[in-house]
Amino acid sequence: MESSDRPRFERVDWSEIDTERRLVTPERALFVLGLCVVVGLFLYDYYYAHVYLVAQWAVTPIDWAVLIGLVGLVSYGVVPAARNRAAVRRTYESIRSRPVLSGALAFLAVFGVVGTVLPVLLGRPELHFGYAYQPPVGVTVDAGWSPNCFGTIKRGQGIQRYCEGSALIPLGTNGRGQLMEAMLVAGARPAIYVVLFTAAFIVPLATAVGVAAGFRGGRLDDLLMTYVDVQLCIPAIFLYFIGYMYVGASLLLLLVTFGLLSWGPVARLVRSEVLQRREDGYVVVARSLGGSDSYVARRHVLPNVTNTLVPAVFHLFAILILAEAGVAFLGFSNVELYSWGSTIAEGLSPDRMRAHEVWWISTVPAVALAATVVALKLAGDGLRDVLDPRGGR
Amino acid sequence: MRMGEQPSTTGESLLSVSDLRTRIETDRGTVRAVDGVSFAVDRGEAVCLVGESGSGKSVTCESLTGIVPQPPASIVGGSVTFDGVDLRDEATDLRSIRGARIGHVFQNPQHALDPVYSVGDQLVEAITAHGDVAKRAARERAVDLLRQVGIPRAEVRVDDYPHEFSGGMAQRVAIAIALAGDPDLLIADEPTTAVDVTVQARLIDLLRGLLDDGMALLLVTHDLRVVASLADRVLVMFGGQILERGPVDRLFERPAHPYTQALFDSYDGFEQLPDRPSRNELPADGCRFRAECPHAVEACSGGDQPPFHPVDGDTEHTASCVYYDEHREADAILDAGRAVRPAAEVDADD
Amino acid sequence: MTDESPSDRRDRGVSNTRTESEASRERSGRNEPATRRSDAAVERGDDRTIDRTGEPLLAVEALQTHYPITEGWLRREVGRVRAVDGVSFEIHEGETLGLVGESGSGKTTLAHSLLGLEERTDGTVRFDGERVSELSGADQRAFRRRVQLIVQDPNDAFNPRMQVGKAVAEPLALNGMDDADRRQAIVEDVLERVGLAAEDTDRYPHEFSDGEKQRLAIARALVVDPDLVVADEPTSALDARVQSDILALLDEVRREFDVSILCISHDIDVVRRFCDRVAVMYLGEIVERGATAEVLQRPAHPYTRVLLGSVPSLDPSDREFVRPLTDTIPDPADPPSGCRFHTRCPAVIGPEDADLSEETWERLAAFRFTVQVGELPERIEMDDPPDAATVHDAFDLPDNIRDDEVAAGVEDAVTALTEGDLDQAEERLAAVLPSVCEQQVPETVDVEGRPVTCHRYDTDIDAEPRPWCE
Repeated sequence: MESSDRPRFERVDWSEIDTERRLVTPERALFVLGLCVVVGLFLYDYYYAHVYLVAQWAVTPIDWAVLIGLVGLVSYGVVPAARNRAAVRRTYESIRSRPVLSGALAFLAVFGVVGTVLPVLLGRPELHFGYAYQPPVGVTVDAGWSPNCFGTIKRGQGIQRYCEGSALIPLGTNGRGQLMEAMLVAGARPAIYVVLFTAAFIVPLATAVGVAAGFRGGRLDDLLMTYVDVQLCIPAIFLYFIGYMYVGASLLLLLVTFGLLSWGPVARLVRSEVLQRREDGYVVVARSLGGSDSYVARRHVLPNVTNTLVPAVFHLFAILILAEAGVAFLGFSNVELYSWGSTIAEGLSPDRMRAHEVWWISTVPAVALAATVVALKLAGDGLRDVLDPRGGR
Repeated sequence: MRMGEQPSTTGESLLSVSDLRTRIETDRGTVRAVDGVSFAVDRGEAVCLVGESGSGKSVTCESLTGIVPQPPASIVGGSVTFDGVDLRDEATDLRSIRGARIGHVFQNPQHALDPVYSVGDQLVEAITAHGDVAKRAARERAVDLLRQVGIPRAEVRVDDYPHEFSGGMAQRVAIAIALAGDPDLLIADEPTTAVDVTVQARLIDLLRGLLDDGMALLLVTHDLRVVASLADRVLVMFGGQILERGPVDRLFERPAHPYTQALFDSYDGFEQLPDRPSRNELPADGCRFRAECPHAVEACSGGDQPPFHPVDGDTEHTASCVYYDEHREADAILDAGRAVRPAAEVDADD
Repeated sequence: MTDESPSDRRDRGVSNTRTESEASRERSGRNEPATRRSDAAVERGDDRTIDRTGEPLLAVEALQTHYPITEGWLRREVGRVRAVDGVSFEIHEGETLGLVGESGSGKTTLAHSLLGLEERTDGTVRFDGERVSELSGADQRAFRRRVQLIVQDPNDAFNPRMQVGKAVAEPLALNGMDDADRRQAIVEDVLERVGLAAEDTDRYPHEFSDGEKQRLAIARALVVDPDLVVADEPTSALDARVQSDILALLDEVRREFDVSILCISHDIDVVRRFCDRVAVMYLGEIVERGATAEVLQRPAHPYTRVLLGSVPSLDPSDREFVRPLTDTIPDPADPPSGCRFHTRCPAVIGPEDADLSEETWERLAAFRFTVQVGELPERIEMDDPPDAATVHDAFDLPDNIRDDEVAAGVEDAVTALTEGDLDQAEERLAAVLPSVCEQQVPETVDVEGRPVTCHRYDTDIDAEPRPWCE
């Protein structure tokens, strides 16, 4: 055991070691770099590009916000993961052993890719007024709904004609002849934006407030929690309507209003966990070593808080997706977004008495919405189990 | 009864335990938490069960009245007789014994007390559970009990909630609840561990008062000082078994078993100990302490635990150790340790 | 039980013990390289002397830490919890100081205040000559490195999600050691030196026993080469033999690396075995401090005597306790006037102009303060007031009180009690039985070379210190 070149703690020359906190960390560097890229894109779009930035993407303010959010998520999420590969691998194994969770996460991954990438490439769904109200494969509908029938026409009683769906248009079309598949893809975009925006801005805000209130206590705590209480009383939708009057239908507006008014419960949750763990031995030691509140929160409190935090965050995602769909359903969102909610509403609008005949226009996006919400909830619960230190490793 | 072991007194004991065995299923296998424990407690007597954590002393107490959670535990052998009643007989209604004949006190009073009910309510509940008592009479008895355990202004405090009592006072309340059924035997598991030393002294006074009134006490503790201040007889436990037993003065004067000696040693100074096996890796035969014993020899392994031999010819003070076998030609007869030394004490009348 | 008196028995025990144990040890071949056989402080005096003449490593002067009690959302202060209320002491290099006290004494608050975890209200803390409050930047970080903390509960001391290797390396990382491999190497080395294995770095805290976790805590405190370690109840959660083990490790650390240790404990046995010096705390103040052997064998302050006398003796034939007058610990937000211990002090000083025998005064003092605090004996209740005879009996009041004024006051108090008027009884007794102990805060006096804060040692006051052997 004795070896002269073996590092021994008493031989460390502490005067040589710079204890100054480092300003440049990999996360910060990547974040700044990413921001620069975004700013570059913005300038390019503003000065050079015409309608589309790239492929079929007409960039709107919400897209910039989400891009910035993505940069943040990647630099502060992916980089620490890359550093801690062993833990990531363990988590991955743990996820693989849980089929329901794997399925939910796979669905969400597909949903994520579809929502972010495909709309950029495909642009908005093409209009084919000549082929409106085409039924899905295997389904028949009164041929009177549309001038043409893409599938086969069947005869019925007397002059009744039915149009049967074709396998080339498996999900049918809506009232403007837009393919339902295209509508699904387009509608995934606002939904995934909700998740990304919330994850990148709302959740960190709520966590930061909760940590500050929990650690500092005193007047700051009182102030923040009073604000949260007041905020909980304001219905987000009213705020959105007020904003709508001035700004018009904007997804960014929706996310800002709903997001800003929904971080309260998560902040309270984080605060309560911080309060509980402040006096835990390892937290006290970390503070005595000079760790700042944010360090201690990041390293010691939050990892031990996942049991309550993870399901709560995924629940928040689900709620906000439903909120966005609801607002769109009511007709207060930008039609160009093709949100699932507005498609559902479309499906109910043509002729009230006969809307049920073209049921797929509402049902297809409704199923997608439901599946997404269920996947989010399952993912939240499953990840909680995976991250629980007492769960079967 | 094991060979060489004597019953502690002649005549009927209040509590008589013979070869009690309790197993606990853990994810690391079956643990023999209580592995052949025999002892007796007489009326008005204080018997102390001394041991470290993992020795099985708490599980032993919980097994007596069957309050140990089964599963994962299961009482697999032995007999427990209380005042002539077989407690292991399925026909016995243990619930009528618990509380009414045998009271329990645990280490942390805040765990034993329900925080949402007042202390008076909990006392009344305990009182009425064991007798048809009218509400008013029960409440008066509750106040009396609080007085008996030394709670000042009992008539006011009876309506307070557990969190309004300090640690020592809460423990007195827990004792009061244990006394509610007027039991003959009080089983107290580390009742003074969580409190300050001056509070502990008052609790010891209280327990002595109860002993003077004729109650029997089975006290579980790891603290030799508490044993010295309360016990009439001592049982030293390790690895689920009793290794040494005897009247307190004689055992303290000449601790015989190497484990007991090690315990006493630790009060005297400190020394780095060799690597010890974890609880689950204790040997399952012979003397369980042999892995850590500086005097272990071949005779220590195999078979049941070594029989109890008298120490210095004293049949009441016996040790389960091969070195005390008077018929053995031992290579080194172990001299029963050191007496209690005043230098090791913090004493009021030095 | 024999006919010997306890002291005879003990005397016999002493002489028997030494020879017997020595002989038996020889015969059994038991060797004890690192065992301390007798009082740690005394023995250590032989092989190590601590230089107490130079600048102390840590010097604390009149330290106060108060918590405000606030009301309303403007947080108006309506009171203060005087957790630490004027504490002074020193720790020299390589010394162990034990801080003894019960709950509410303020010892943990004191430790946290030293480390900067709690904000000091007043007083100075000097580390290596420099005032800690004036340190900034690199010096402050150096202070944080040179003073380390071992927390009370080993089960709580480690982040359950973090491998212990990372946890033990955390102080290195927080102090700027960026090279992960170097940290790992140092950690592996330290783990082996505290009795664990280098492979343990990958394990999680729940895989270790309590004793092993405490070794990990020691390793973590050691890894940045500190000069002072604050150990908060380092052995309280441990079994007796494991306690012994950990104390031995701490002692070895102290000797080999010349680390000073501030050992906070409620357990007198730990202090007795491990600490060179001891300071006794009560309600935020240090009442007595000095060399461990002296304080434990010849305690001067009445609270120390009560504390030591409440520890049950290891001799089963000696079951006497030293009892305080009352059991209620006062509220740290509203401590008693004058000497904080006066409501419980068995040596409280009687009124100077009253003509009372010691014994009478003692019984009357008990009467006065139990009534004041409300700790009424079993038979006395204000709902159903007792008769005078019961009062006399329950409080063991003396029959003949020489001083007429006092006698009258006592009778009035008894009458008040029979009428259920507790406040009146308290008033009358306070009027006729005043004590300098409640009127004046005691001065700190030097007793046999150690500071004691008690009126009985103050030569200006007409009261003699009580002898310890009663």
